[in-house]
Amino acid sequence: MSLTGGRQRPDPIVVVSAGVVTPVGSDLDAFWSGLVTGSDGISMIERFPVADLRVGRGGEIKKLPLPGGGAEAGCRASLLLEAAAGDLLAHVTLLAAPERTAVVLGTALGGVDELDRALADDPSLRRAANGFYDSPAQALARRLGARGPLLTVSTACASGATALGLAADLLRDGRADLVVAGGYDVLCRFVMRGFDALRSLTRERVRPFDRRRSGLLLGEAAALVLLAREADAPAPRLGRLLGHASTSDGAHIAAPDPGGRGLEAAIRGAMAQAGVSADEIDFVSAHGTGTTLNDPIETAVLKRVLGRRARAIPVNSIKGGLGHTMGAAATLEAIMCLLASRHGVLPPTLGLEEPDPECDLDYVPRQARPARPRVSLSTSAGFGGCNAALVLEGVTS
Amino acid sequence: MKLGAVGVLTGWGAGLSALPADARAAAGDRPVVELAAPALVGERFRRATRECRLGVAAVTELLQRAGLARDAIRGPDTGILYATAGAYGASNRAFIEAAAGSREGRGALHFPYTAPSAVPAEVAIEFGLTGPYITLIGGATATLDALWQAERLLAEAACRRVLVLAVETFAECAELYRRGRWLVERPLVEAAVCALMLSGEPPLTVRPATRPEALERLARQRAGETLACAPLIQMALAQELGEDASDLTGVWRGRRTALTAWREAGPGRRTGEVVCAAVAPTAR
Repeated sequence: MSLTGGRQRPDPIVVVSAGVVTPVGSDLDAFWSGLVTGSDGISMIERFPVADLRVGRGGEIKKLPLPGGGAEAGCRASLLLEAAAGDLLAHVTLLAAPERTAVVLGTALGGVDELDRALADDPSLRRAANGFYDSPAQALARRLGARGPLLTVSTACASGATALGLAADLLRDGRADLVVAGGYDVLCRFVMRGFDALRSLTRERVRPFDRRRSGLLLGEAAALVLLAREADAPAPRLGRLLGHASTSDGAHIAAPDPGGRGLEAAIRGAMAQAGVSADEIDFVSAHGTGTTLNDPIETAVLKRVLGRRARAIPVNSIKGGLGHTMGAAATLEAIMCLLASRHGVLPPTLGLEEPDPECDLDYVPRQARPARPRVSLSTSAGFGGCNAALVLEGVTS
Repeated sequence: MKLGAVGVLTGWGAGLSALPADARAAAGDRPVVELAAPALVGERFRRATRECRLGVAAVTELLQRAGLARDAIRGPDTGILYATAGAYGASNRAFIEAAAGSREGRGALHFPYTAPSAVPAEVAIEFGLTGPYITLIGGATATLDALWQAERLLAEAACRRVLVLAVETFAECAELYRRGRWLVERPLVEAAVCALMLSGEPPLTVRPATRPEALERLARQRAGETLACAPLIQMALAQELGEDASDLTGVWRGRRTALTAWREAGPGRRTGEVVCAAVAPTAR
């Protein structure tokens, strides 16, 4: 702990490394390359029937980087996590004792795909147990041999941010020495039907902050980071998590608060915990879903929080190329922020071509931009009025 | 962190006084002891799921027990931390079966309620809670982690009070739970429990545990299997008994956790005593 203005500020937590599997790349390097070059991971969904849906496209991962592509009968969420863990472990070794190694995962859907199969055609005990939302985390912990705290967070599409925050808290409280944390979600009929029924999916392309934006598309992904306390973290490092906060809108079960008060509170809470002022924010990774409601609300919130500097700070959304990967989204975006610092490049906001006058910040349109942010802010929101924000510090030298 | 009050609703009725001495004997051959959804008035509650309404009812029960007005918890100074192992199962199943054509009318309005976080969302909307907000999935260990997180939020002054809420429903997925007899004990007792946590010493300690402590055994004996609700029932039992509370413990899917929270060695208090704070409405 450090003292700031009489209040204790939690120590930063080191992000040692990361591993991902996404629609634009099946490992960290490919993911980054895909973001910077503007790869479009959206395609027709092939893994399950979509003919009866208004929209049948999404960010589907066509081939998993696992032997055989991942057994078709297995729990897909667990397979995505296994692939991301494989990528993470290619970069780093888990050196803590198993009982001091924790796993914290965020998800919007958990193992619901397995519940679907358990109800439809598979009476096995295993399938029923896999229907619990924490089953993929249980499987990942077994895969990693981690026997420390095991938490599954489900704050809808903000889950991947909340998970990183809780993971940092585990380390700060000495409940673990290493934490594998992140988020995941799969594309399945359950979620496609749900968003299709809500008319939230666009028949066109995802256009965050564009005046023609008409909705989101879903994607699937898993994203993991390895977190450690400063004293325990090996080099090289990806960066640091300085602060986090999660808040409730208390407004509506499915729509964001029109005033964005909950999101604003989350951002201010994360910045306060980080001890960072608006003057120190170099880059914002926005939730940026491309829905009619979200983007202007988020823009207004960023203007209030960042004040006179709001228009000078680059903001992007990577959902145009990936789709909205739900529980994985916030972790992927946090990783993107840290990679931007490492590589000195900001990935563009794909799909943004005609800016909405209501969304008048610098959204990094069309192509990647050279810039090396030190401190980044990442925002997330989800059903039920869940909001979360992370403040991250990249390695810039 | 101090315990303010606990509102307990179970399949046996409201409050601890409704609990039988022996849940297993009282349940007889019932695999699930159901908790009826409360009748709540309003258009929003017409769509809300049973587990959402139970969450709202548990907070209402807490407020009544603590003698608090609804306004006492409104606003950004109240956090809500929600834990459940499977209370989302009913809404998920209903949505899946509607998609398969075996049920009617589950579409756009229903889908947002399939998220586990719909329960704390409805509570937050109903009571105007805009503070910290987290949903943890798991059985008793998730609730112990929620209590740990509550203490962190209070210690960091992120809020002034935290509602730790747990809801478990089983009836709609009873046959799925029958498949997993290795995972849960009998009888399965539906419950919705909410604890009001306030800042104060001493701090919590969370650690792995190897066996159930007395309160866990007592809660299981009297209430039955309530999964994520169990630690909160343990707290309520300790508060009611006025006895020394040893560690709160819980197990879920092979992991056992203990939370040592309620020790305060000071004037008029014994080590291990449950610290029960006086609760008064906050002027805001």
